[in-house]
Amino acid sequence: MRGKFQLAALSVLLGTFPALADQTTPVQGIHNNNPSVVALTNATIITEPGERIENATLVVQDGLIQSIERSNRAPSGARVVDATGYTVYPGFIDAYSNYGVEQPGDRPRGGRSNAPVYTNERQGGNASNAAVHAEQQWFETVTPDASEAQSYVQHGFTSVQSVRMDGIFRGRTTTLSLADKLPNDIIYNAVGHHAASFDKGSSSQQYPNSLMGSIALIRQTLSDAAWYAEAAGLNTLQGPVEFNSALDSLKSLNSERVIFEASDDLNLLRARRVFAEFSVPFTGVGSGFEYSRIDEIKAADLDLILPVNFPAAPEMGDQFSELDVSLADLRHWERAPANAAALEQAQVRFSFTMHGLDNKRDFWKNIRKAVDYGLSERQALAALTTIPAAQAGVSGQVGRISPGYRADFVVARGNLFEDGEIVSVWLQGEEQEIGNMHPVSFSGEYAMSLFDHDLSLTVSDSGRVSATLKISEDEEISVRDARVEDDKLKFLADLSALDMPGTYRFELERETVTTLAGRAQSAGGALDTIVATSTANDEESSASEQNSGDAQQPVEFVSRLTYPNVGFGRESQPEQMNLHIRNATIWTADDQGVLENADMLVRDGRIHRIGRDLSTPRGYEVIDATGMHVTPGMVDEHSHIAISQGVNEGTEAVTAEVRIGDVVNPDDIHIYRSLAGGTTVAHLLHGSANPIGGQGQAIKLRWGESAEGLKFDQTPPTIKMALGENVKQSNWGDLYTARYPQTRMGVAAIMRDYFQTAQEYTEAQEQYADLSRSERRRTAPPRTNYRLQALAEILQGERFTHVHSYVASEVLSLLTVAEDLGFRIQTFTHILEGYKVAEELAEHGAGASTFADWWAFKFEAYDAIPFNACLMMEQGVLTSINSDSRDLQRRLNTEAAKSVRYCDMDEHEALKMATIYPAMQLRIDEYVGSLTPGKHADFVIWNEHPLSAYAQPQQTWIEGRKYFDRSDDLAQRALIAEEREMLIEAVLNAGQEAHRGARGGYRQAQPEWHCNDNHDVWLEDIYHSHALEQATRELH
Amino acid sequence: MKKFIFSIIACVSFSVSAHNIAPGSSSEQSILLQGGTVHTVSSGTYPETDILMTGDTITAIGRDITAPEGTRVIDVSGQHIYPGLIAIDTTLGLIELEQARPTDDVEEVGDVTPEVVAHHAFNADSEIIPTVRYLGITHSLIVPEGDLVRGQSSLMHLDGWNWQDALQLGSLGMHVTWPRTGLNNAWWEWRTPAQQREANAEARRELQDVFTTAEAYHHARTSGNQDRIDQRWEAMRGLFSGDMKLFIHANDRRQIEEALAFNAEYGFDMVLVGGRDAWMMTDVLVENDLPVVFTSPYGLPAREDEAYDTAYATPAKLYEAGVQFAIGYAGYWDSRNLAFGAGNAVAYGLEYQQALRSITLSAAEILGVEDTLGSIQVGKQATLIVSRGDVLDHLGQDLSMMFIEGREVELTSKQKQLFEKYQERITE
Repeated sequence: MRGKFQLAALSVLLGTFPALADQTTPVQGIHNNNPSVVALTNATIITEPGERIENATLVVQDGLIQSIERSNRAPSGARVVDATGYTVYPGFIDAYSNYGVEQPGDRPRGGRSNAPVYTNERQGGNASNAAVHAEQQWFETVTPDASEAQSYVQHGFTSVQSVRMDGIFRGRTTTLSLADKLPNDIIYNAVGHHAASFDKGSSSQQYPNSLMGSIALIRQTLSDAAWYAEAAGLNTLQGPVEFNSALDSLKSLNSERVIFEASDDLNLLRARRVFAEFSVPFTGVGSGFEYSRIDEIKAADLDLILPVNFPAAPEMGDQFSELDVSLADLRHWERAPANAAALEQAQVRFSFTMHGLDNKRDFWKNIRKAVDYGLSERQALAALTTIPAAQAGVSGQVGRISPGYRADFVVARGNLFEDGEIVSVWLQGEEQEIGNMHPVSFSGEYAMSLFDHDLSLTVSDSGRVSATLKISEDEEISVRDARVEDDKLKFLADLSALDMPGTYRFELERETVTTLAGRAQSAGGALDTIVATSTANDEESSASEQNSGDAQQPVEFVSRLTYPNVGFGRESQPEQMNLHIRNATIWTADDQGVLENADMLVRDGRIHRIGRDLSTPRGYEVIDATGMHVTPGMVDEHSHIAISQGVNEGTEAVTAEVRIGDVVNPDDIHIYRSLAGGTTVAHLLHGSANPIGGQGQAIKLRWGESAEGLKFDQTPPTIKMALGENVKQSNWGDLYTARYPQTRMGVAAIMRDYFQTAQEYTEAQEQYADLSRSERRRTAPPRTNYRLQALAEILQGERFTHVHSYVASEVLSLLTVAEDLGFRIQTFTHILEGYKVAEELAEHGAGASTFADWWAFKFEAYDAIPFNACLMMEQGVLTSINSDSRDLQRRLNTEAAKSVRYCDMDEHEALKMATIYPAMQLRIDEYVGSLTPGKHADFVIWNEHPLSAYAQPQQTWIEGRKYFDRSDDLAQRALIAEEREMLIEAVLNAGQEAHRGARGGYRQAQPEWHCNDNHDVWLEDIYHSHALEQATRELH
Repeated sequence: MKKFIFSIIACVSFSVSAHNIAPGSSSEQSILLQGGTVHTVSSGTYPETDILMTGDTITAIGRDITAPEGTRVIDVSGQHIYPGLIAIDTTLGLIELEQARPTDDVEEVGDVTPEVVAHHAFNADSEIIPTVRYLGITHSLIVPEGDLVRGQSSLMHLDGWNWQDALQLGSLGMHVTWPRTGLNNAWWEWRTPAQQREANAEARRELQDVFTTAEAYHHARTSGNQDRIDQRWEAMRGLFSGDMKLFIHANDRRQIEEALAFNAEYGFDMVLVGGRDAWMMTDVLVENDLPVVFTSPYGLPAREDEAYDTAYATPAKLYEAGVQFAIGYAGYWDSRNLAFGAGNAVAYGLEYQQALRSITLSAAEILGVEDTLGSIQVGKQATLIVSRGDVLDHLGQDLSMMFIEGREVELTSKQKQLFEKYQERITE
């Protein structure tokens, strides 16, 4: 007997005494002073990734590694374990776990079925937001849980970094052993990193209910922490600085680290950005989507903790079920296992975590799959040992097999990254056998001799155990009741055929890799000893362990990888070209008017010249546009495409601190669809749930760019405000009657109040700035308040307002407030009754961006008229047509044409309402909006009069790059169909493996966001509500 | 002083047009429209042609028609004459303001409400209706909404004193929303695939059960074995007697296939409404002679990797494959954009004549009213519109006149009146 049996026997012994004496706990009864040295001899020891020592002895004492004896000698007095043929790995560490600490709270029931809660219960100087509890130190709740620990230990884990996974600032992690001992003995690092996420978790407080709200809360908290570090103990000019336990615990965060859990690659990058604003060291918990934006991930200099929850294939069993499955999901199914390899290739540091795995038994299957898909074994091992040890702040204790380190290690038979199996896991020097998880296999063909007869035995024990005994090729002895129990193969057989009448009971154990040994017993007690020798060729030993450290050949994928990684994504950015467009009808949208048979030159992304019969400069691409029309790219003042996880921070009445720019979603297919409709600029606005909503973000529809790459940087800052039914919550149900304001009177009052406060805020800042240097040393600086700062920027003329509005009264009231406080309203958006107050709008200098013909969807839209734009234009109001809709953004041209239809507007003027006028409203008209030399070469080539129902955009260009081409689009469709077919076939072909993996492991689709959509994106509850689907049909 | 006078004028003019417009009065006089371009839809387009309307009927079409004594002669030279446009699948007159529940009569409680009849709630004085006429729509099939068996639709003309007056053809069809098929993979769908499949199957069973019961009821009534009236099944007898069409609202390919298989059992006079995926199964539609009302000509692609112009190009694909189809515009106030939706289909490949037909004669054929409506032909109803330009194009459409059953209809509206009112403020 050798090998595992010996190991197992030892563990029983060791289990009878504690390896570590209790230090502060009084001993009850007799003191236990058993010998405490264990030596695993003749082992292959992987001391750390890439370091391998053959035939060595590992000496362990008192829970620590004592030495590695290359001479393979065990110290005298040691309990010796013969580990010949076994490999010892350092114990694995999971750097992101919830083990052993308090579990997250329940999410409150949300939606609109409960009255909203706006405040947090205040206790002990906590933060005003319930999702911010950075002061919590989770080691205080550490309690070992043997059965939960098993789910880790089975896979070779010996320690974890844990935190209660709840809230935005979650408190501090603790790193602990998975051993079943006193908390005092298992805590390896009591106070670890701060943990955070965007998800407010069990907080029942309204704010934040959107992703941008969570980001704003993080930004304000980080700013407050920096301020608190400076200000605590001093007085500001306005009074003493409060005590705040959350801020207190965060004040040295930028010399510490945050571990941030993100739901996908975009959120990971968003989190990285906001923490980088405050120079906070950052470790991200990844999602498996990193490969799809690998360059950005690499550039973001990320440290990652990576789940291995590869998704199950999309449901494909029913005919035409592919109609419900996107190409993006099919691609992710194929490529998810290669994510780790892609990160290794990009030299991004990462560890593996069991977190996020639907079924923990998939852990090793998936790690091996990742290796099959190109991850090197060395990196895979590092991701389980040295890297998570560093991430969990325990590099000096675990992650390596080295003297003085914890005796936390894994004993395995074979190479774990191929088909090896874990035999036992040692926690603080004590063995835990993993035998049950890896029962002895008896499968195979054997030759044996029984009562002097030569027989052949065939055993199959995968699943149901079966065995056959044969005397010769065609003579079989019937075998019954075959089973494996207590690591023994047992069966019954009637041996009459061997002239031995009666039923014999067989019991066989595995003796060596190739032999089974045991006995057969008759009813009368006659025994015969059996040795069964495997007759199969021994192929197992050929497994090569030499290739560890070498990345394997990359697997071949049938899917393409595009930016974004969805159908119609681009493989690369279009090239900037110099162009000569010939013989077109050019609608300049400036004083040049509409020029027939005209040419346009585009150079270095700008419009260079417009004229007749221009000659082609050398190297220019010529486009013959005979019969075609060219217009500026259209500009949409009011859009909600390309926004992730919530268009409204519809909680508090004033949320000027939230930024659409934080949540731009470059994956949104509507960017491409709008390009195909001739739109090149979209002003992404916060919704209309609050009197003062959030900051807007203009983007150019550079499909395929990153979130940052889409931003139209030259656009001056903007903000959304709103009036009327939405902000007074008229259509939110009867529970929403508490928030101020509930009337248009209150809307005007709260506007005045907040702008007044912003003025005072600015004055306090100035007052501090005016102090002498010595006075400043004694005085706490004023706290930066992003909410008021945004309003102060409006007052200072640095941020421009876009005000959702409908009826005349509310418009006049806001004009009065603005004029009293000395600022200007830039643009009223929707403004369906603008025609009633056009004179006042013109006098104030406010623009108006309206719907062409929407009305009757609610009471405040009942006096809307499709003649609105004409009446406003006629009275000198700068007017544009907006979409507020993914659909209408594809056809702003014909929306503008409705003013020609209804009130005979000049056609060129109508086109300007979709081009230069909205550009002026966004104050980007020096760059875009007209085909004026020097401006960006953003233009559309149409096959017909651009305002006609019959017009079809042929090409859409941005800065001299062709982002849409009708003929390329037609070619793409064929490629997409082909790729889909191959992937569907791959799923159908994958058999059972297709069903293994995470459910819902795909990217969350964004619903169509509207102005007044207001949902709590963090509450599970909204998934249950029909209201969302309903609401996606709600209007403006 | 000047200001004073203006305000009096404003008051007067406003009070005159303060409310919805009275229906046109039928004249004893014949009307001759002279010299227009006549888009008959049924048999070509004729420039400089006259149309004579007598009572509610078109009595002559041709060049230089001699008008009978006392005929009102209107010179429409340079203008275009089209049949009135027919908007299928709207809730016109059933709702005034989407977010004001008191004005909303579109959906009755319960999944199975075959007994409800759309025209019973039709508000002939809806302020929406004149704004829809303004863009050339003279008739609409109004349809109750619902999740399974919705109720009965009615064809209304848009110039009535009340619903009885406006009713062109009541209880024209029974409307069924086909149960969902397939899986919703979106994150807000909380049900597992198995639960979704079960819910879908449950709805199909419920629907099957409704028809089984209604059929048994019909036979029992016919044979005198059923004395007690059940409103619901009584309402469905028209289907079994062949007097009523079955409109199935379905968009997904699998729904459409299921609906066809279902109808194969019964052989109802079936029309598909919605038809979002019809483009991908034209062969099946042709094989089954299934007429389609495609109701979202501006629809967004239903799936992420579908072509951006999938809905735009659907009418062209249906036409090329030989599917009988009309273009509809599901909605209420927005259904007025029907003609532009048809124009957009031209931009994406549909022949102009077919686009025009899809909102006139093809619509009338699918509703079974092609004998009276849908084209300009002698003997048909004198329902037509006169436009200064191409009715399908924003740049052309400009209605100067509308006739419904020979009555000239006022083309003003609440919106037009507000426009006029606030024009006065400018001149003030």
